[in-house]
Amino acid sequence: MKKSTKLLASLAATLLVAGSVLPMAACSEETVSGITTENIPVTAYNGEKVTISFYHCMGSALKDILKDGIADFNKLYPNIKVLTNSFGDYPGVRDQISTEIASGRAPSLAYCYPDHVALYNKSKTVLPLDSWIESTLEVKQANNTTALMGMTQAEVDNYVPVYWNEGKIYDEAKTMYTLPMLKSTELLYYNKTYFDANSLTVPTTWDEMEATCQRILEIEGAKAGGAAANPCIPLGYDSSANWFITMTEQLGSGYTTSEKGNYFTFNNETNRAFVEEFRGWYQNKYVTTEEIFGSYTSDLFTQVEPSKTKCYMCIGSSAGAGYQCPAVLQDGKTYPFEVGIAMIPQENPESPKIISQGPSICLFKKQNKQEVAAAWLFSKFITSNEKFQAKCSMNNGYTPAIQSIKDNTTYKNFLNRADGNKYLQATAVQATMEMKDYYYVSPAFNGSSAARDEMALLMKHCFQEKPDSGKTVSQMIESFFNDSYKKLQRRYDK
Amino acid sequence: MKNENITEDSLVEQNAEPVLENQLPAEESIAPTAATKTVRRSFLDKVKFDSWKAWIYLLPALILLAVFTVWPIINTIRVAFLNDYNSLGEQGGETFQLGIGNFITILASGDDFRTALTNTLLICVITVPLSTILALLIAVALNSIKPLQKIYQTIFFLPYVTNSIAIGMVFAAVFDVVGDFAFPDLVQSWGFVNNILMKMGLDPVNWIDGLGDASYWPKMFVLIVYIIWNALPFKILILLGGLQSINKQYYEAAMIDSTPRWRVFTKITVPLLSPMLAYVLITGFIGGFKEYSSIIGIFGDDMAGGQLYTMVGFIYDALPDAQYGEASAAALILFAIIFVVTMINLWVSKKTTHY
Amino acid sequence: MSELEKDVIQNEDTSNAAVENENVEIAQSTNPVGSTENLVQGVMHEQDIKTVAKKQTVGKILGQIGLYVFLTIMAFVVIFPFIWMIATSLKSVDEYYDASLELVLFPSFARDFKNYAEVFTTTDLEMYFLNTVIIGIASTLMSLVITILSAFALARLEFKGKNILFAGLLATMMIPGELFTITNYKTVADFGWTNQFGSMGWINSFFNLTMPFLVSVFYIYLLKQNFMQIPEELYLAAKVDGTTDFKYLLRVMIPLALPTLISITILKMMGAWNTYMWPKLTTTNSDYYLITIGLREAFSSVDNQQPDIPLQMAAVTMVSIPLFLVFLFLRKYIMKGVSRSGIKG
Repeated sequence: MKKSTKLLASLAATLLVAGSVLPMAACSEETVSGITTENIPVTAYNGEKVTISFYHCMGSALKDILKDGIADFNKLYPNIKVLTNSFGDYPGVRDQISTEIASGRAPSLAYCYPDHVALYNKSKTVLPLDSWIESTLEVKQANNTTALMGMTQAEVDNYVPVYWNEGKIYDEAKTMYTLPMLKSTELLYYNKTYFDANSLTVPTTWDEMEATCQRILEIEGAKAGGAAANPCIPLGYDSSANWFITMTEQLGSGYTTSEKGNYFTFNNETNRAFVEEFRGWYQNKYVTTEEIFGSYTSDLFTQVEPSKTKCYMCIGSSAGAGYQCPAVLQDGKTYPFEVGIAMIPQENPESPKIISQGPSICLFKKQNKQEVAAAWLFSKFITSNEKFQAKCSMNNGYTPAIQSIKDNTTYKNFLNRADGNKYLQATAVQATMEMKDYYYVSPAFNGSSAARDEMALLMKHCFQEKPDSGKTVSQMIESFFNDSYKKLQRRYDK
Repeated sequence: MKNENITEDSLVEQNAEPVLENQLPAEESIAPTAATKTVRRSFLDKVKFDSWKAWIYLLPALILLAVFTVWPIINTIRVAFLNDYNSLGEQGGETFQLGIGNFITILASGDDFRTALTNTLLICVITVPLSTILALLIAVALNSIKPLQKIYQTIFFLPYVTNSIAIGMVFAAVFDVVGDFAFPDLVQSWGFVNNILMKMGLDPVNWIDGLGDASYWPKMFVLIVYIIWNALPFKILILLGGLQSINKQYYEAAMIDSTPRWRVFTKITVPLLSPMLAYVLITGFIGGFKEYSSIIGIFGDDMAGGQLYTMVGFIYDALPDAQYGEASAAALILFAIIFVVTMINLWVSKKTTHY
Repeated sequence: MSELEKDVIQNEDTSNAAVENENVEIAQSTNPVGSTENLVQGVMHEQDIKTVAKKQTVGKILGQIGLYVFLTIMAFVVIFPFIWMIATSLKSVDEYYDASLELVLFPSFARDFKNYAEVFTTTDLEMYFLNTVIIGIASTLMSLVITILSAFALARLEFKGKNILFAGLLATMMIPGELFTITNYKTVADFGWTNQFGSMGWINSFFNLTMPFLVSVFYIYLLKQNFMQIPEELYLAAKVDGTTDFKYLLRVMIPLALPTLISITILKMMGAWNTYMWPKLTTTNSDYYLITIGLREAFSSVDNQQPDIPLQMAAVTMVSIPLFLVFLFLRKYIMKGVSRSGIKG
């Protein structure tokens, strides 16, 4: 009895004391500083002990590579402690950071997509990088060599230009806010074995694509048992939002602009026409999308079970090349079919347009200038260190942000192995590197990711719904477009 | 001196307006006579109830509440009345005008607001009574059996200890159709529920992915099943607890009378259980109004393309863009609705609850 | 000392009696049954009951069968997702996506536990487990102290503004808690509790995960109702004896309300076990992850396209098992706690 009294009393006392004292007790040496809206002039890192934090959403394999990368970075700058924190996905990183900014905090640097930067920048705390890039200040490294805080022209040129320019899409003045980290695009994966056996050619335009789809359905229908016994949808498109945006880019018909008050320009006749055309494709069972089919279309593409629905072409991310490869047969060497990789079909093959995706790095204005300097050095390191970039790319098929990597021996070996299914990632990366002049990026503004989501939904509705009686398909599609436009405009265009 | 006066006042107050606690049977049963009351009264006068002492007992709770509950509420009210308030903008030095712009934005969102309100009300009106009735039936059945009672009890409580996110995944997977529902020959998997329907010779249903008005009720059905399922364990537990504390004598008396089972149920069980039932109903309604995560779990972030938008959806919708002004305004509207409904509930249950 | 203890025991007895009496009291005041006379005289005539019972035997058996059928069906519906979860956790990814196996809950080949083994190898499960247990126990203990003190004050002490305070407390329950998150995040960050590295890191993390959730109005309400069922005369008697409030609380009220306290303990522990949003938002050092975040982190990532649902289900099953065992062993107390908490609308 007595014991419990004491225990209870002491617990209560602890609690009271804790409640009142704690706020003061909390300060530890390894913390990052708060954010500021003031401009941070370029400062050379002076070698002092400093902690920076990096938020990302890498998977477990990339996390290990990052660990090695940090170790390499610390060989140059042993006093910079890099804390990393991983969040499940991109929206996870975004929500975390926007919550932190709202209370005066932020990581030193983070994985980002363009629309994230547009959102963060409402607080004016994203660090403009121009003066840092141009800086001629010097910094001492651990091996007693000195390095430039900024970048030489050669270093700047080493970045794939189109990726580099993605950092400047935020305002009229073309202020640079992000560095490219790892990139990807969409590729057309096709079943090469099947194409060869049926002497099909790989489509390069959408018209050819339509013909190819038609042809494949004929071939399957003519087989024993007819179409019912050989269920097939010739083409699977992983992301219908990408499809829509890429088409507007290829047609030059307009999707979004970065002009406030007039963000959304997708609601036009040309766009409605191509959506109606593709609706016809869908209704003819030429194509399905991930949103419609309810599973990754790569699963359909790699399907080998005869009784199951399969695709013979699939348009998906180059960073997902590994998923487009069918499982190796029991002997561990041969594959059920060979995968071919090509550029996605174009409206005008003379000037192709393909989407550029993948994370960039942004930095924040922090009160501790040394922290900003250290974060800058680290961001420079992870975006341009050949060894690190090569490892990331080899792991999952992301395209590196720098061009010199092609001369890196390890990476060269990786690319050289690019033959057939075994190193499909390498084949995919190689293909994307050849397409570096065709990339486009759509404008980034607060609401651009909502617009993307809306386009996916719009495509799904336009493809699948039936018009009310007395209405034509065109009228139905027009009303869906109007709904989507109104929804976005009301929210973001005010 | 002062203290005495204060306590005196509060006591008088209490006697003037007897609150719920004074009607508790436990007290009445022991002190029913006027004589005891006088004794108690004079005794209370002697015992000095020190106001400050009560506050000391309450201090830890009040400090924490002030910091982690009251302050956020004040902050919520503040930003709700700042037009177009954006937490990131505030950091960036943006200023916001005082006004009711956020409320107007929400109320003027037309279809969205109407959908949210209708869905929320539908969810409450359908799930709360259904789950309560079902829980009551199960609890009564559990209470009327002897062998295996404990095993059944444990089973019915099982969902309560399971991670709710996981259960959402299970529901989605069990109902989901993989493949294009429009082209049955290309469907890859009909899902567990449809497989059973088809075995019974019924047509499969596009539970999760349908488009257009016709797809509303299948989706609502899945949601309702999930919410009821999720709510059952707690309700069964509360009601069973209530049933077990009902004195067996009533039932035995009813048995002698040969009162029909149904009459026993409506005339003994339900009235005696009414406090528990009222409690279960009120918390059910509050929970129903706050329903959100289950919808996200099953239908994804866009709440089935906006078809299953609810009141809390307004709050969450505003968060990714850091539009806390709107989110806060939505929360206050929601609070007002819940408050009114709870008051009505309390009023009704006070009228009908038997003690 | 011993005198007082005796007193308590006596008191306990009387109070139990009081609780028993309560129901009779209820019945008399409300007349739930039409035939009041029978009830009031409602003394047990063993003989009568037996005769009536015999008459009803056949019907009773049939009724019992019906009850069991009903309960079995409902039980199956209720635990189906749980069964599905376990069944899935035993499958491989390929088997999971194989439509032909969909209706086969337990395919014959699914008898190994490799998913479970993998959960252990891919995550620091032990560490997360330990973190969760520490946070769970500590926050439960602190929460109990706060709840008991507040409930006691609200149930037994008189002070000005009590009713207003209580009503205000209840009103806070009606605001969606999600909205507190942003302000609370700012608060804990201002306190420095998000600085979770270095020597003070663990203590900051500890406070961050416990402090915001120590006060639950719901538990205070539950316990207050329970306390109020303890006859006031006990309190007055204790006062006459010169017992202090605190001693009275400790010696009389807490033992009498033990089942409710145990219920609160269990609910609180479950809360700690399943909490996700707040720890995820505020835990900056992965050494202090709780089990739910740890599991989510391990099995979700952007470059893992195909989600390994069987693996996730294995993880979730493992997380649920400790809670389930707790319920299994303490079921008696939970039931008692709820039934005695005297929730009165």
